[in-house]
Amino acid sequence: MIPFRALRDCLDGAIPGVVSTCAPDGTPNVAYMSQGQYVDSQHLALSYQFFNRTRQNILANPHAILGLIHPQTAQQYRVRLTYERTETAGPIFESMKAKLAGIASHTGMSGVFRLLGSDLYRIDQVEVVPGTTLPAPVPAVDYLPALRACMERLPATPDAESLLDTLLDGLERHFGIEHALVMMLDPGRARLYTVASRGYATSGVGSEIQVGDGVIGVAARERVPIRISHMTSEYAYGLAMREGAAPGLPPDTEIPFPGLAAPGSQLAVPIPGVREPLGVLFVESPTEMRFSHADEDALVALVAQVGALFRLFLAELELGEEAQPMVEKEPHPSGTPLRVRRFASNDSVFLGDDYLIKGVAGNILWTLLQDHQALGRTQFSNRELRADPRVRLPDQSDNLEARLVLLHRRLAERQACVQLEKTGRGRFRLVVCRPLELEDMDLGMA
Amino acid sequence: MPSAAPIHLGPDYVRFMTGGVSINTGSGGSDGLPSQCRAFGCRVDAEGGRITVFLAAPQAADLLRDVTRSQAVAVVFSDPPTHRTMQVKGRDARVESLAEGDLARVSAYRTAFVQCLLPLGFTESTVRAFLDCPDEQLVAVTFTPDAAFNQTPGAQAGTPLIPGAG
Repeated sequence: MIPFRALRDCLDGAIPGVVSTCAPDGTPNVAYMSQGQYVDSQHLALSYQFFNRTRQNILANPHAILGLIHPQTAQQYRVRLTYERTETAGPIFESMKAKLAGIASHTGMSGVFRLLGSDLYRIDQVEVVPGTTLPAPVPAVDYLPALRACMERLPATPDAESLLDTLLDGLERHFGIEHALVMMLDPGRARLYTVASRGYATSGVGSEIQVGDGVIGVAARERVPIRISHMTSEYAYGLAMREGAAPGLPPDTEIPFPGLAAPGSQLAVPIPGVREPLGVLFVESPTEMRFSHADEDALVALVAQVGALFRLFLAELELGEEAQPMVEKEPHPSGTPLRVRRFASNDSVFLGDDYLIKGVAGNILWTLLQDHQALGRTQFSNRELRADPRVRLPDQSDNLEARLVLLHRRLAERQACVQLEKTGRGRFRLVVCRPLELEDMDLGMA
Repeated sequence: MPSAAPIHLGPDYVRFMTGGVSINTGSGGSDGLPSQCRAFGCRVDAEGGRITVFLAAPQAADLLRDVTRSQAVAVVFSDPPTHRTMQVKGRDARVESLAEGDLARVSAYRTAFVQCLLPLGFTESTVRAFLDCPDEQLVAVTFTPDAAFNQTPGAQAGTPLIPGAG
């Protein structure tokens, strides 16, 4: 049996592997490996950065030996490999590219290490080299019990918002992960928006990044976990991720991304959806080499459940709503009116001079406020919003729940005079404590 | 295999190869399958004409078999803090017993490599564990270098160290 956990530890460790090959005439070659990646129990991938002798040899004679040393036990392994193919795009390549950027930055090799391809090898045999070893240290986290403790609380959560809170609480309590956030995918705009976070000075709820940008964006685009063990500027997020202001827009509709200023390790895991991922769970730490393959395993298992529960919430809404008593029309509030502006060009909504939200969540708020203003309505359901053309959901499978979480959080954080209150499954109440003057800034411009 | 003239490695290279650097040895079998083993130090004779590396026989069983059969060997030397790396190859390799002074060389090598790796965050016990071998199990592989390459990562990687050779 292949000791794949040990191999993963070796490939993650700081001791570089050694690759031996033979030319067709039998001349041996020995070289140090920059990066190796565990693919599955039968395959691993080595980085192809230069057309060197190793590369020439494996194209002519596919046999190679990879020598590895376990970073904790010092156990040496020799992995007999057969070269199969090279990938220059896709999940394995992108995952290795991100990791290599981290290694290059860590080792002062930025600009020298550039991934040309991922060479995929079949694992033929793993030899445990005889020698002196050290006892394996007791890991800080016992992963299976931690995963169980985290997972068993998730199905008891009643809605998307408490699901995400429970997830982040569990990561902190059972895995000691102190900095984490969840971003959801807006497929229509190819952007991800933050809906929940832990461990940052500001929550960053509503902050956005482009799909493909940094470890989170690459994880979403390639649908693969991206884990880097060393800080690298190549995958860092600037403090303000700006979307390029469009003409006629108010200047500042950006919410700063909340991430650590100097992360040592980062791990982004896509939350699976039916087609595109629903979003990305992102964790980071100031400590280098903080997240192991085992952390990645645990987070992948957790987000599989999170994704399934999101779909369950959606299905429940399709099945029907809880009966809701008729509510008397609520009186309009009194006081100085607050000007609420909406810019149709990016669906942004400003309360007074303060930017609140944009995109589909901006449309949702504007729809609610219009109905409140015109009809005096305060009671709404997720289901009717899904069908309302003014909300302009990109498609029927859209994750409306996540957009409501975003809107709810933004209003709560801003302590706005408009709030959303959950009144039942898929239902909520709009609470307005000040008169509002709605102004559609782009009316007549179209 | 075509024959190649021996090359002469200057004192800077000799100092590098006999210092506290990572050393790995490779050979290959008649079936095209490579073999590999980590070495525990290196001796270069006074004229720079003969290179000897020290291996643990139980770890090196495949490599010793291949060297005995083919006499082809490749040895890579790398300094982890700087990534400076060179590879030396030979085609007349032999397996020998250790000579006088070699045990002291192995012992000095272990200490020097520990000193090299400690600042990088490795513990002495880890380094000493993977360099450990009972004295009576140590063997030597000795060869005349006929090619030497710069393998420091970068555009120059793979170029011969000595112009006209390799």
